[in-house]
Amino acid sequence: MKALTANRLIDGEVVFWKDGRWVERFADAQLFDEAANEAAEAAEAHGKNQPTVVVDPYLIDLTEADGLWAPVSFRERIRALGPPNHPSHGKQAEGGAVVAALQNAHGAARSTGRVNLIKRK
Amino acid sequence: MYRYDAIDKDMLADRSAEFRAQVARRLAGELNEDQFKPLRLRNGLYLQLHAYMLRVAIPYGSLNPDQLRKLAFIARTYDKGYGHFTTRTNLQFHWIKLADAPDILDHLASVDMHAIQTSGNCIRNITADPHAGATAEEIDDPRVWAEAMRQWSTVHPEFSWLPRKFKIAVTAAPKDRTAAKVHDIGLVLKRARSGELGFEVMVGGGLGRLPHIGATIREFLPANRLFSYLEAILRVYNREGRRDNIHKARIKILVASLGAEEFARQVDAEWEKAGTAYDLPDTELARIRGAFAPTRFETLPPRAEAFEVAKASNPAFARFVRNNLKPHKVPGYGIVEVSLKGIGETPGDASAEQMEVVADLAERYGQGDIRVTHEQNLVLPHVKLEDAPVVWAALDAANLATPNINLVSDIIACPGLDYCALANARAIPVAQHIAEKFRDPDRAELVGELKIKISGCINACGHHHIGHIGILGVDKKGEEFYQLTLGGSGAEDAAVGQALGPALPYNRVADAVDTLVDVYLRERQGAERFLDTFRRTGVAPFKEAVYADAD
Amino acid sequence: MPTRIKLTDGRFELAEDPFTMVPDDREIPPGDVIISLNRFQSEGEQLLSECRSVGVRLKSDEPVEALAYDLPRLAVVALDFPKFGDGRAYSYARILRERFAYRGEVRAVGDVLREQAGYMVRCGFDAFEPADGSTVEVWDRAAQRFRHVYQRSVDRHAPAFEERGE
Repeated sequence: MKALTANRLIDGEVVFWKDGRWVERFADAQLFDEAANEAAEAAEAHGKNQPTVVVDPYLIDLTEADGLWAPVSFRERIRALGPPNHPSHGKQAEGGAVVAALQNAHGAARSTGRVNLIKRK
Repeated sequence: MYRYDAIDKDMLADRSAEFRAQVARRLAGELNEDQFKPLRLRNGLYLQLHAYMLRVAIPYGSLNPDQLRKLAFIARTYDKGYGHFTTRTNLQFHWIKLADAPDILDHLASVDMHAIQTSGNCIRNITADPHAGATAEEIDDPRVWAEAMRQWSTVHPEFSWLPRKFKIAVTAAPKDRTAAKVHDIGLVLKRARSGELGFEVMVGGGLGRLPHIGATIREFLPANRLFSYLEAILRVYNREGRRDNIHKARIKILVASLGAEEFARQVDAEWEKAGTAYDLPDTELARIRGAFAPTRFETLPPRAEAFEVAKASNPAFARFVRNNLKPHKVPGYGIVEVSLKGIGETPGDASAEQMEVVADLAERYGQGDIRVTHEQNLVLPHVKLEDAPVVWAALDAANLATPNINLVSDIIACPGLDYCALANARAIPVAQHIAEKFRDPDRAELVGELKIKISGCINACGHHHIGHIGILGVDKKGEEFYQLTLGGSGAEDAAVGQALGPALPYNRVADAVDTLVDVYLRERQGAERFLDTFRRTGVAPFKEAVYADAD
Repeated sequence: MPTRIKLTDGRFELAEDPFTMVPDDREIPPGDVIISLNRFQSEGEQLLSECRSVGVRLKSDEPVEALAYDLPRLAVVALDFPKFGDGRAYSYARILRERFAYRGEVRAVGDVLREQAGYMVRCGFDAFEPADGSTVEVWDRAAQRFRHVYQRSVDRHAPAFEERGE
């Protein structure tokens, strides 16, 4: 399962692709399963064509966490949550089930979330 | 302290206007990110994990109260109410919006501050001894030279598009509080036997992936030839530094590949051809020097009654004096170190409220003089001993008086994976866990001087290579692991730390530090610091203890 | 005829460019030409004897000293910026002007952007082929962003410490 993420140009906020727009909450992110690979790549291409909206969109791998989804990569979880050293700063302050799932996800497999930097066997 | 004149202020205004126009063009799509990124970096603006980060310049670590209050204002208005002091004595804001950056630069300019060249492949902030003007040890006031170099390096016509970043430090006392030996250029002020003032010039020091101690290429450079010599060094670097590989582009790589002798020869050849045309006129140096003449100090008895009484009756104040107060060149005064390393706090962070407390104290009791150290603490360099108890009480109420300067819990840590897009691992919680283990101030004092430095990645912004204990965050299959090193030093006895053993997982680091301290306490002889014991015993007893129950 | 931005007596203007920049693999046409250092070293003498103006285009890793003896006969030295961040040409331009007292045209070519106009002028460039569509007006404004300068350089802008002396 994948999601598409970027930073918003105007304020640097971490955002996720959802149906042609960019949302701030990982909980709202569009999920792309195996069958939707083409759609995922199309979305990424679309994002790269929005240089005045977002900076550097890229796909990230997700893994199951408490019946929900979380980024495989520890760095991407931090991006989706906010800085662990200040639980009241950033997106994590909202709380809720998705935030909890992100915070409790374990077994990070890679520090970079970037799908296309990972060599697949 | 140097006061910006009309020309200096115009520079800031013009720079701010330039950046505002660049941002507008970026937002309008007239500049793409590849073109814009180097431009925003040259005004200190990074895109990090959660938002933009703005690195405000604090030239040679010097601030006045209005400036510190303005930083507090910016923290409150545009950020989340705090700032982070860095190992290059700058201040970072971690939650900045691109859209606000031009306004922030204007606010900074209103108090003679800026973010010019705090990033990018150009000459960065020039750092100097935070005790300048207060310590009896100094040959000359390094701030004079740092300010002259600040102006010389600002929007330099030839050296603004270098192979890589360029960092200069200048120190003037036997004790080096600037880590000059691990800078691209380290300058040490000296006097010749004749009394003539000059510099020892070291080149090619640096941390990062490949740490190097700088090589002395000139033992004594007459002070009035500084700028032509700097231009010669920069020109050789600009021409010969590698442009094909950013990991091999620092001057330290060039010096290592040519050898220091050949590098020095090339600099001399260039210097000779250039002559004196680019040296700074004596009149300008005198003008800058005049700005640093101190406000008159009072003639005080060396012994201050209020101070002695407070020490005798208040053990907490006495402990503060033991650790956080340093001798001043003028009798009856002291140098107060302000710890930004509260146990359990983020090292180097200060809230807006804390900034205002320090600003007020500086104004009332400190001659309006505040400094930032490269170990992420602040200094009030000119405090009367008789005022020290009052100053301490105010600092203590604001959680700024932890009596731990240079002790084990005075940890240097980069923001790491909590904030930084370059990081592999978190540094802040590692620092907090270690500090927690040494919360007991008696134990911390028993251990004595121990400089722990933590970097979240190989870029070494936490200066881990020069920590007595260095900790480097690495990524092992996506998990946070940490490589420990021992025996580094950033002082006049500079050295790169030696690896302890295999990297440890996140949850074993604080225990490992605890173990290292236990070994030190067991092995130490006489008044040895941790660093001294390590230098005598080598790594073996430490390694054995930490990996005793290795998996 | 193609143009380039030329700086003359402190004023920018769009000036006709009589020079043809000739790649190494092309035959040299009649008229004024700018050729590579390599080509100049093999064919330069011949060209200079043919009553035409000759210029050399230096790559960023070619030492400007290689032209030292020929500078009096060269009409143009074109300094290449392969990427705008490759700042070696700033040193070359200053050396041409200050060390060799070169009076011909020093032209910025390659990845030449308005953001660097001011630096180029200060280092002694007096001709520019912008890669970002800059017009003369845009280039002029870009080169004048700073009312003061702190350093002495090739241009006649008095450094701050001289202004202060007044």
